[in-house]
Amino acid sequence: MSREKPRESDTFMGDELGAKPLQDDSFLRSAVTNRVHVAEDDCIEMRRLHRFFGETRAVDDVSFSVKRGHVFGYIGPNGAGKTTSMRILATLDLPSYGDALVDGFSVVNDPEYVRRRLGFMPDAFGTYRDVNCQEYLDFFARAYGLVGRERNERLKWVLHFTGTMGMAEKPIRGLSKGMKQRLCLGRALIHDPAVMILDEPAAGLDPRARIDLRRMIRELADRGKTILISSHILTELAEMCDTVGIIEQGRLLATGSVEEIQYEQATHRELTIRILNDTNRAAQKLQTRPGVDQLIVDGQLIRFEFEGEVEDQAAIVAWLVSGGFEVAEVSSHKKSLEDVFLHVTEGLVQ
Amino acid sequence: MTISATQVEDSGPVPQKGHWLDRIDRACERIGDSLNPILVKETRQALKSRQFVTTFSVLLFAALGWTVVGSLSLMPQIYTSPSAPRLLIGYYVVLAIPMLLVVPLAAYRSLEGEIDDGTLELLSISTLSPWQIVLGKLASAMLQMVLYYVALFPCVAYAYTLRGVDLPTTLLIMALLIAAAVMLTILSLFFAPLARSRTGRISTLLAVMLVLLLSEWGLAFLVVNLILFGNPLSTGMMFYIVTSALMFALSIGHLLLTATAAQLTPESENRSTYLRVSMLLFSTVIVGLGALAIQMFELAAVDILLIYGIVAGVFWLICGSMIAAEREVVTPRVRRELPSSLFARCLLTWLTPGPVTGLVFAVVNVVALALAGHIAFRYFFDQAATPAIPNPVNLLILGVASYTVVFLVSVRLVIGGLRIKNNPRVEVGLAALIAVSVLGALVPYSLGLHFNDYREYSYSGWQISNWAWTLLEIFRGRDLEREVVVVAFTGLVAFLGCILARPQVVLPRRTATPLRVKRERAETGT
Repeated sequence: MSREKPRESDTFMGDELGAKPLQDDSFLRSAVTNRVHVAEDDCIEMRRLHRFFGETRAVDDVSFSVKRGHVFGYIGPNGAGKTTSMRILATLDLPSYGDALVDGFSVVNDPEYVRRRLGFMPDAFGTYRDVNCQEYLDFFARAYGLVGRERNERLKWVLHFTGTMGMAEKPIRGLSKGMKQRLCLGRALIHDPAVMILDEPAAGLDPRARIDLRRMIRELADRGKTILISSHILTELAEMCDTVGIIEQGRLLATGSVEEIQYEQATHRELTIRILNDTNRAAQKLQTRPGVDQLIVDGQLIRFEFEGEVEDQAAIVAWLVSGGFEVAEVSSHKKSLEDVFLHVTEGLVQ
Repeated sequence: MTISATQVEDSGPVPQKGHWLDRIDRACERIGDSLNPILVKETRQALKSRQFVTTFSVLLFAALGWTVVGSLSLMPQIYTSPSAPRLLIGYYVVLAIPMLLVVPLAAYRSLEGEIDDGTLELLSISTLSPWQIVLGKLASAMLQMVLYYVALFPCVAYAYTLRGVDLPTTLLIMALLIAAAVMLTILSLFFAPLARSRTGRISTLLAVMLVLLLSEWGLAFLVVNLILFGNPLSTGMMFYIVTSALMFALSIGHLLLTATAAQLTPESENRSTYLRVSMLLFSTVIVGLGALAIQMFELAAVDILLIYGIVAGVFWLICGSMIAAEREVVTPRVRRELPSSLFARCLLTWLTPGPVTGLVFAVVNVVALALAGHIAFRYFFDQAATPAIPNPVNLLILGVASYTVVFLVSVRLVIGGLRIKNNPRVEVGLAALIAVSVLGALVPYSLGLHFNDYREYSYSGWQISNWAWTLLEIFRGRDLEREVVVVAFTGLVAFLGCILARPQVVLPRRTATPLRVKRERAETGT
């Protein structure tokens, strides 16, 4: 598990960033608009981000970066500070201290350049009365300065991409939650942003809608978009994210790829041992062993948390056998992202 | 299921030349593209909304009904005697309700709805500026007004043909109605983002409704009198009233729109400079209209100048207290835009956001207006062949200006103290002003009352902070030169102290724009 440490060289506002030459990007070249990435390889960067609401530290010294074209999963319990940091990144709020950069531009000092590159999908829908899907998207396309043919083509593309073409003439208020989520994703995509911030996009969706959403997000990442997504559905994040960050009480507890975090947690595994004779005595003896925790006896099965390497695991089995216990079965479970999350966080909210 | 942007692009080539209908269509689309997106969206929404359809239908039926009922009630005299007044009053009522009540309230709800539904946040991260959002809402409201107006125009024309109300009066009534409707819509838009809490929302809604109803009643009173008794004013007076009303409406409207846009602007942006320019515009309008009044009415303009003096004093007290309560922090983003040359810094630093520059701005305006007032009164007394301005007039002007400066400096100090632990809104400056001015008057008066066994007592130097009594005594002709000089000196010292205590806040330095931003600007042409 890697814990982010603040860099001493970080400046408050992150003003003096150097520019990089234009990079080739096939999707953006083929897209209707010609917005391209021009900054460092890190497309999103949080620098010692702090946000205080009175005494509450909603975001407390959070630093991480997301590479171009990567999907970053932001995991944390309710009230952990995910939405606050996402809102800062979307230029809707200001940090109390620190800065966040999108494509090399500070959200504090150059929000207008950040906004051009950013598509934000908040957890609330944000829809209008007496407006149909096409009018809704058309309005936001105009709001982002798209005109004429460019706007019409972008509109068609978004309707196709999000699968809302059939709903184009339907009023928004009558749409299902899944369709509204698609529409909101379309709105966030309408100006072809390089970076997308999706706050709980899968919340309340049925399994099929979640699968569709996951596919769309992966497709967007394949097209070169950098995506920051928060979700409570950890299994889904594990499948679609290149890297994840676990946040609790405003502090970033771990970051890295799912594999990296799981590897960091590999010394923590759940062992299940079936002992055919005298299971209870074996359990009592096991409890005295170092690294054994939370032991449960279930018939002939003994389950426990084990902290140690594979060799230590083998030594336990050998020790049991040498103690005269008939070990019939040993199974070891690698920790899922959910297990890692539960292990890393303490279930605290502010 | 999905297709790429390239596929879409290739799928339907758009013909460049074609039928004249296509050309018209493309021209219309280009015009549509150049329109404010908020206007387009709001118009689409409004034309489909139940509220508009209902209001428009009711307006049409009411106008038709009144035409039939009103005409029948005037039979048979309608053929022989002037019958326009009664019909025109009816049409005015039919038109005024949607224009002065429904449209402003719809604009209020529209902006409030953007905040409630979270769509304002979505708009604020688009390329739309807060000014575009506010102007779009206003334009949409004005479009609805035009539709209502056009729908009722034939009825007004019909009433005119019945004789009894002349064309200038009819036009004046219609112009009054439109101007009032636009101003009330601007005012409603200003109130919409003011409060964020539920209780605050209800209070602002009630305040808006009260203002709308009072305006509806006041304007109806004026219009009915105009219709029944004609326009009693001379051409010169009429010209002056129309000009001054127009100028005040423009400057106050601009200030309210700027304030509304400022409320929608993120904290990191410069929200103050535009407001100050707008306030400066208002001051200029007052001075200009004062000069026009002197030019047109000569000695009879004294009353007008007194009214303008009171308006200007109240205006600068309110606005000055709020700009003296601004945050001290000037974000790096704002610092990049500060004036850099010596000449520009000398001339424009008072427009830089911040409480002390705001104080300088307000005080300079107050002093300038006091000076203008002094010059105006000197002109009058020269005209009246009086050797010099009587001392009370000078004292009154100096006294009002000095108390204003002292109050503004006090507000600055109070808010500066509050900001140590809190982050109050600028409106708290207004509350501080009320507290300072009320306490400044009440405390010495109460103490004097106590020491005089709660009996009536005469003015003394101990009442110097009691601005109301001091100014009243000067107005009555009492020579309080020493007291006024003390207040003026106190104001000057406190003002200079505020400036010298934090020179870095008074004169913020411009910072360099990052290379990355410069390149982006060059590439995007922004």
